[in-house]
Amino acid sequence: MKKNVYISIAFVCIVLGIMLSIEFKTIKNGGTVALQRAEDLTNKLKEVQSERDVLKKQLADLENKINTYEESASKTSAITKSLKDDLIKYKELAGLIDVQGPGVIVTINDSQKAVQPGGNANPFLVHDEDLLKVVNELRSAGAEAISLNDERLISTSEIRCVGPTVNVNSSRFAAPYVIRAIGSPETLEAALKLKGGVVDTLSNWGIEVNIKKSNNILVKKFNGVISFKYAKPIYEGENK
Amino acid sequence: MILIILLSLVLGLAIGFLLPINLPPIYTPYLSVAILAALDSVFGGIRASLEHKFNNAIFISGFFGNAIIAAGLAYIGDVLGVPIYLAAIFTFGSRLFTNFAYIRRYMLSNFSKKQ
Repeated sequence: MKKNVYISIAFVCIVLGIMLSIEFKTIKNGGTVALQRAEDLTNKLKEVQSERDVLKKQLADLENKINTYEESASKTSAITKSLKDDLIKYKELAGLIDVQGPGVIVTINDSQKAVQPGGNANPFLVHDEDLLKVVNELRSAGAEAISLNDERLISTSEIRCVGPTVNVNSSRFAAPYVIRAIGSPETLEAALKLKGGVVDTLSNWGIEVNIKKSNNILVKKFNGVISFKYAKPIYEGENK
Repeated sequence: MILIILLSLVLGLAIGFLLPINLPPIYTPYLSVAILAALDSVFGGIRASLEHKFNNAIFISGFFGNAIIAAGLAYIGDVLGVPIYLAAIFTFGSRLFTNFAYIRRYMLSNFSKKQ
């Protein structure tokens, strides 16, 4: 009888010890790993951000240099002068240069209307589709250069919902969205304000669309890198 | 008696640390409640043996039964969104202290008797 007691107590204590050690191990692993990971990630983020800033500065410096070279080269002969003019023209077309001119500034913000309890909040928020519709309308009304929150819309630009934010040129933006478009201010405004048009539809949901005409709008250049990996040019007279 | 408890506890800890048993972190709350229940059983067992009322079957069944019920209640509470594990913590926690107080008194009185 006495022996039995000792055996059962020993057995129970062994089981208890195993449970304790497993618990201890799991908590130790889980706790420190998560904390360390967060720390690591913040450090990495800071590093990458400072690196980005340095690179940005470098890029600006180099661009300045190129500009001075182009400037000085264009003065040497008529050929280089016309080359420089061509370059500016193509840069303008590709969105690689800041442009200025009359146009409209469209500010779009989420609805301030209270959502009915249990109602769907989605229609009261600005979505990628709404922005696309506005941009499309501006394009069809003859806008020559458009930027969304200072991201120039070029041939490869996307406007896409990413959770509660919208990605444009791989940068993330939240409301309010500011669209700057260069073109005839009257035409652009009229196109947006068509009866049954974009602004009409959006204001049904209380989404705030504010259109401001201006004679001097600056649309910034595209800041990223355009590189074609798959598309190859076909020269005239060449068969496929 | 105390030697056996300590030795087997150390043995259990060693086994747990050496064996590659890993519990997903989600289950740690349940295991901790089960550990509390098991601790309570161990103290109850010690008290019973001091009172000479120790019963092996009751001890073993209490140890595993309490641990399993405590963990199960904690799980059900999580599913229902009611913190039932608090019930286990209160019950076993207060009982643990009562049992410990009894053991302490018993040992102290034993000690003074010997003197």
